[in-house]
Amino acid sequence: MRTLRTLAVVALLAVLAFVAYRFFVPRPPSGGGTIPVYYAKLDGETLAKWDVSVNPNARDADSVAFYATAQAVAGPPPDVTAIRFPSGTIVRSTHVSGSTATVDLGGAVAHEQSGSFAESGEFKALVWTLTALPGIDAVDVKIDGARVATLPGGHLELDEPLTRTSW
Amino acid sequence: MQRSPEVTLSSMNRLRAQAGSALAFGLMLLLGALGATAEPARAQAVGASGVIASPADYWFAGTRLTFDRAQYRAGRLAVATDDSGLARFLGKLGATLAYQPGQKYVVITTGDRRAIAFVVGDPRFEVSGTTQTAGFAPYASGSAAYLPFADLARALYVVPILDGDATVLQPQIAALEVRQAGRVTTVTVRGASPLHFKRTSDDGDDRVTLVFTGISSTLEPTRDIPGAALNGVTISASGTSRNPTTTVSFEVAPSANRALVPGDSANALSIAFAPAGVALAGTPIPGAGVATVAAVPVAQPAEPTLATAAPTTAQATPVAVVPASGPTPTALGLATATVSNVDADPEGDALNVDVAIAGPVTYEWHRLSDNRWYVDLKPATLGIDPQDIPVTSDAVQTLRVKGFVGPNDHLPTVRVAMTLATPRIVNLVATSTGLTIAVDRLDDLAPLRVGLGELAGGKLVTSIVPLPAVVAAAPADQPPAPSAWKFGAPLPVGTNPRLIVLDPGHGGSDDGAMHNGLVEKDLNIDVARRVKALLTARGWLVKMTRETDVDVFAPNDSAHDELQARCDVANQAGARLFISIHTNSFTTSELSGTTTYYYKSDSYGLADAVHARLAASLPTADDGIRKENFYVIHHTTAPAILVEMAFLSNPGDAQLLKTDAFLQKIAVGIANGVGDYATPGAPVSSNGSAAAE
Repeated sequence: MRTLRTLAVVALLAVLAFVAYRFFVPRPPSGGGTIPVYYAKLDGETLAKWDVSVNPNARDADSVAFYATAQAVAGPPPDVTAIRFPSGTIVRSTHVSGSTATVDLGGAVAHEQSGSFAESGEFKALVWTLTALPGIDAVDVKIDGARVATLPGGHLELDEPLTRTSW
Repeated sequence: MQRSPEVTLSSMNRLRAQAGSALAFGLMLLLGALGATAEPARAQAVGASGVIASPADYWFAGTRLTFDRAQYRAGRLAVATDDSGLARFLGKLGATLAYQPGQKYVVITTGDRRAIAFVVGDPRFEVSGTTQTAGFAPYASGSAAYLPFADLARALYVVPILDGDATVLQPQIAALEVRQAGRVTTVTVRGASPLHFKRTSDDGDDRVTLVFTGISSTLEPTRDIPGAALNGVTISASGTSRNPTTTVSFEVAPSANRALVPGDSANALSIAFAPAGVALAGTPIPGAGVATVAAVPVAQPAEPTLATAAPTTAQATPVAVVPASGPTPTALGLATATVSNVDADPEGDALNVDVAIAGPVTYEWHRLSDNRWYVDLKPATLGIDPQDIPVTSDAVQTLRVKGFVGPNDHLPTVRVAMTLATPRIVNLVATSTGLTIAVDRLDDLAPLRVGLGELAGGKLVTSIVPLPAVVAAAPADQPPAPSAWKFGAPLPVGTNPRLIVLDPGHGGSDDGAMHNGLVEKDLNIDVARRVKALLTARGWLVKMTRETDVDVFAPNDSAHDELQARCDVANQAGARLFISIHTNSFTTSELSGTTTYYYKSDSYGLADAVHARLAASLPTADDGIRKENFYVIHHTTAPAILVEMAFLSNPGDAQLLKTDAFLQKIAVGIANGVGDYATPGAPVSSNGSAAAE
């Protein structure tokens, strides 16, 4: 009888340990726990993407949209050839309202004079990244908190929400 | 807003996450108490203001680093995202921080474009896709998030070192990457911060020795390098913890060439070596004793064939982050699909190639200049033998299918390749069994050269090149075929059918881009004046948005005011056509060529006509016609285009832009293109295209 009771206790402990492991030990994101982040190749037309992991504890829409914005602005790893936002560009905020994500950028991009080619590639990648998220169809861009017609370089129009068909 | 279940936490998940975080936090507390920490444990009290009562003595780049929003967590320094000391630290490294109160991610972008992502409540953090574990989980307090500073510093290639009672934050040389391209060996030195160096070797030595100041190294002291021009590299660190230096010596083969080449960030220095007789692009390595800052301007190198990063065993070592083969545009995390059949189905002088595919795939197709066309489907395996498929068609000469593993992404790939009999339009159409490749007669539209996207659930769900050849994703206002603008419905025409408005981009307080001794605004007006002369001689009335070096609206005005003023010139004058003239630039020197942009559908014909002339007459690369929502070609009533003549950031293009002959060729090309498109004085009610036609 005592042996039976001991075995039962051991089994119970094993079950508890398993449950504790399953519930309390953080695990890597399971399948589907990634989002695509796009970048424009140097031909200015082709977009490619890489996937970044979404933390299982931070999957709410605003956090994911902000994360996607930050990753798109950072661009792909350094050994990848890509059109990139100017170094020193800061993501101030990203808010999702309805089907539009409003992205507020600052830092170096607010003074960008890198030409029409770069402007187009940068924002195309940002728009494709955010509109790959569920429910987001358009991206409204602000610079230092304000709506602007274009960057100082004066090319791509930013005072209307951008969509994938803007290109 | 509707929230996807994928991105919405259930209450159960939240409970588990919080419990997990609490458990992790508890474990970290325990570990901290046991002293299992590389950072000196501290027990200072935190004042009411959040400022540490007994500030830690941190030194960085020769000066004391004062944190004004810092706390201690589990004996470790936690620094707020809005701490001024942290901002100074990141600024010195060329890094930026993104955090938005209320959401959970904190993303630091390093000077060399790696993303370090922390999550509030989770000790794990990501460095360019590599997961690591911090000493404690970041936490939110007020409008800031507090980060584990030591872990962040290490991810930035900065190592905290105890020096008496102080902690010195010592930048490190993080990696030495070697790439082979033919007989050229390129070595890239990556550092935590912008690299400053002096050469101590002489010209012609068989050894190039560079001394990097203010930075240390834990890299292996010697490295054998495979290649014909470079035998090896030795690395040695010296100096003090506060004033470190690192000496890197390259053992060069006798008489080998060597040159500095643009790096991919200010924190990288790249040197190319080649055997005698093999020419190298780049600039000479500055002479002995000349202090130099590395890697400006920056460029984007090819993916490395061999990447070597710092060792990762010791906790005080920067993390290795340079992937051996770069990121892989993934195939949606999908299971591998199977291509079970490829069949050719002629229809008149067209041909449909039906590809049976089980499972979702990504696709990428290319049109080569010799009429070959292929599409790669991945991840996908070939369920039939690789084969040449018999084709009886006027459209396609050969058709073959094969399977292979992608050399870069290592994904199983199925390629369907065709040799087109003549230039043809090729469309991809999703079907219930997979994909149909429809080869048809080419209309007058210039065919695209590349397209890619995803095929899933019987739909082409994504087309990354949203232009006409890709059926599923063609935008609603895609450019019409030439027949539509030449002979279709009348297009809007200004009230003054003889008037063309030329818009020399930038001007006055706005210089535009500047590279290679060239100023964009000056080039733009130079060419505009030439175009005006040519068009005037051909009977057009020409008005310029600016005749001299001035702002059109006002000095230092807003982009909106300035650009709208340019549109107003054309709109108020009832212009027939609007042509904006610009010179392109980019952050690196490798891009070159001539591009013509349009936005509205009614402008494609003008763009096509002008670009055809430019492409035929200019020695620059033909970068094609592109649709872009540029302000001035969107808000003008008349058909409007924007010509980017060449890249003044490219040395070759810049040389051309310095010659009268090239500028005149551009002007003649634009004028001839206008002549091909329209004739002055056409009736207002006619087509936008040549009214006299």
